[in-house]
Amino acid sequence: MKPSYVSFALIAVATAAVAQEPQMAPGGRGGGRGSTREFLGLGPAPDAAAAKLGDPIYKENCGTCHGETGRGSQGPNLVRSTVVLHDEKGEEIGPIIKNGRPQSGMPAFPGMKQEDIYNISQYLHMQVELAANRGLYGTTYSNLRSQTSGDPKKGQAYFQANCASCHALTGDFAKVGAKFPQAATMQARFLWPAGRGPRKATVTTTDGKSFAGTLLKLDDFHVSLRMANGDYHEWPLDQVKLKVEDNLGGHRALLPKYTDADIHNMTAYLVTLK
Amino acid sequence: MTAQRFVLIAFALGLAHAQDLDPKSLVLFKQPAETWPTYNGDYSGRRFSDLTQINQSNVDLLKIEWMYRITGIGPQRGVGDPSIKSTPLLVDGVLYFTIPDHVFAISARTGEKIWQYDFQDKGGHLVGQRGVGVYGKWVYFLTPDGWFISLNANDGKERWRKKVADEKLQYFTTMAPMIVKNHILVGVGGDAMDVRGYLESRDPETGELQWRWWSAPEKAGDPGSETWPNKAAMDHGGGMTWLPGTYDPDLNLLYWGTGNANPVFAGQSREGANLWTASIVALNPDTGKLVWWFQASPHDTHDWDNVETPVLFNLTIDGKPRKLLAQGARCGWFFVLDRETGKNLVSKPFAGTGNWALGVDAKGQPIPDPAKEPKVDGSMIDMPSLGATNWPTPSYDPQTELFYLNTTQGYGLTYLYDTSPQPEGYGGGGGGNFDSRSALLAIDVRTGKIKWKHEHETGVGGAGVAGGVLTTAGHLLFTGDSGNLEAFDPATGKIVWHQQLTNSLSNGPSTWMMDGKQYLIAGAGDTLFAFVVAGKK
Repeated sequence: MKPSYVSFALIAVATAAVAQEPQMAPGGRGGGRGSTREFLGLGPAPDAAAAKLGDPIYKENCGTCHGETGRGSQGPNLVRSTVVLHDEKGEEIGPIIKNGRPQSGMPAFPGMKQEDIYNISQYLHMQVELAANRGLYGTTYSNLRSQTSGDPKKGQAYFQANCASCHALTGDFAKVGAKFPQAATMQARFLWPAGRGPRKATVTTTDGKSFAGTLLKLDDFHVSLRMANGDYHEWPLDQVKLKVEDNLGGHRALLPKYTDADIHNMTAYLVTLK
Repeated sequence: MTAQRFVLIAFALGLAHAQDLDPKSLVLFKQPAETWPTYNGDYSGRRFSDLTQINQSNVDLLKIEWMYRITGIGPQRGVGDPSIKSTPLLVDGVLYFTIPDHVFAISARTGEKIWQYDFQDKGGHLVGQRGVGVYGKWVYFLTPDGWFISLNANDGKERWRKKVADEKLQYFTTMAPMIVKNHILVGVGGDAMDVRGYLESRDPETGELQWRWWSAPEKAGDPGSETWPNKAAMDHGGGMTWLPGTYDPDLNLLYWGTGNANPVFAGQSREGANLWTASIVALNPDTGKLVWWFQASPHDTHDWDNVETPVLFNLTIDGKPRKLLAQGARCGWFFVLDRETGKNLVSKPFAGTGNWALGVDAKGQPIPDPAKEPKVDGSMIDMPSLGATNWPTPSYDPQTELFYLNTTQGYGLTYLYDTSPQPEGYGGGGGGNFDSRSALLAIDVRTGKIKWKHEHETGVGGAGVAGGVLTTAGHLLFTGDSGNLEAFDPATGKIVWHQQLTNSLSNGPSTWMMDGKQYLIAGAGDTLFAFVVAGKK
């Protein structure tokens, strides 16, 4: 599958947040929603349709005390509630809804239908899901990820001073804002536009022969290339000269110089180039 | 039971059972050659072995003696193929190692399987399993969903299980239980939702709780509570304890690293330093009482767990013998502390310039720059946003007086997503990893300066360092690189040997003697490799 940059941005959000995993090796762990939830061991996914039905029922009956979205008001926060987190389909919260908690002032809802209890439970589990399943953040916060506080005029000046010697608004930057409309994606793209595929490299052997191809494997001892004609070649690294294509020298030089304001200004400018 | 009396009993048991752990092998430095009794080998966490049979003059004769491949388990939930992140313990000729939900006992001589214990979890995170603890004839193991299990070392039969963490609250357990006197120490992980971290001491015979230390204060007015705005923030403040610590028997101090604060990237509901998250803490192992602390990432907003091993070593500085502790922290700084007092000697960034901090305070702790906290439209730091290192084991070599660790370098952005006054969970995220490189660093412990490094640009031909580091008195450093197990000259960084493995190195290598031969053990994905020197030079 050819990855689109939008899906790359989502994957970056999902895989980036792995607390116990070093980020040394690229790739490996899939992004998508299902896999992040599976990876985190969050248990069964909430029933989205039921959660939607449960939303108005929750707000009407529970919202006054437990808050609009279950984050607590005069009643406790339910999203962080041990009872709710132990519940799956209303079996834990059902008896509490029906009987109330008179000792702590919670009224009983003896007439609440089983179906509504289920729907309320799924509404609450969806609130937990939105917080705990970071694989969803890319979707939940996609509008936020398009915000930028930058000044496009200052961004234009920064571009003219630092980028225009390599990039032309009529050439590779024509309509770049249409290609990367989301600010966060644009930002990552202009800061470090590394190709996602393998790099090109040239190997020169001791007898002066030169081989240019796609880099397959490079470690401390060997290098291998796939040539344009499909041929495979490999060499001991200590017997050849290797040059790996690197078009990012300008970007590398800018990384230590950017202020956050420069980055935001550039982003604000580039997204206007539609 | 007093510690002394336990030692006597354990000795008595040692005569009766072939597979007892000799308590004499639990020491600060210099463990007996024919055992690897704890996660780090000895209590120091140096991952330095005195063994010299494998050395620079014969390392090119290393050969694979046996391989043990995990079969019949298949991909594990959410994480894929089995990956050995545990360090196998060697006790009386048997190696004990793990992956999530499974314990293996194999012959150290031949790699033949002796027994296997399989557990069916009901949730929890399968991100890793760091190994078992052994005490007398008992093996201790933690499951992803918070069960603390005791097995008979002889046959893998379960003795009892105790619940130590609630996976429904998003706690999970991955660490290798650590044994100190008659205490089994177990820590917890979990920062998907906002829970408070803790470390427990359990009874080796019954599994019952001896004490629990919380990583955040319990109530307003308690010491440390001045670094939080209110009780709710402390109750949900994070600070997980998921890697084994280290221990100094002479000082009777346990050293432990704590994880990031919660909510992870959104710090607006927890103004203050948030003690004792993202810290190194020194605890009394008999009571769980805090003796001193050093916070590596005050008010952390970058998911920088500070659980990386606090490595203990002794060194003469300005003519005075010093008892020290060093840590290469996930926040990208290298710290050296006096391990008796916690007083700081060195604080220096090893990734980038440390530009997320304004400098250091009087204790030597970085002062986070509020301008570099995650922002809605991104905030860039000159190190990877998710940290410059992680759990893979570092090493300190007393022969070179250098500290070694595998790191990630580059630039990262962090974003704030949950802008509400009461954010939850991660509430943000790290993005990008620009000009990303991985590097093995050798750091001078006196100055924090990098003596040498071995570096790769990330993603170029699959090159990159991986796994933990082991150093030996044979003037060798072992670690993973681009699918190889490699040996370096620890003084210079020159590569002196390598072996292509079937996967990248996935654990910390270890070494011990058996039948007069020095073995080197390394885990790579689903396979454990044992190396010995072939023939004589």
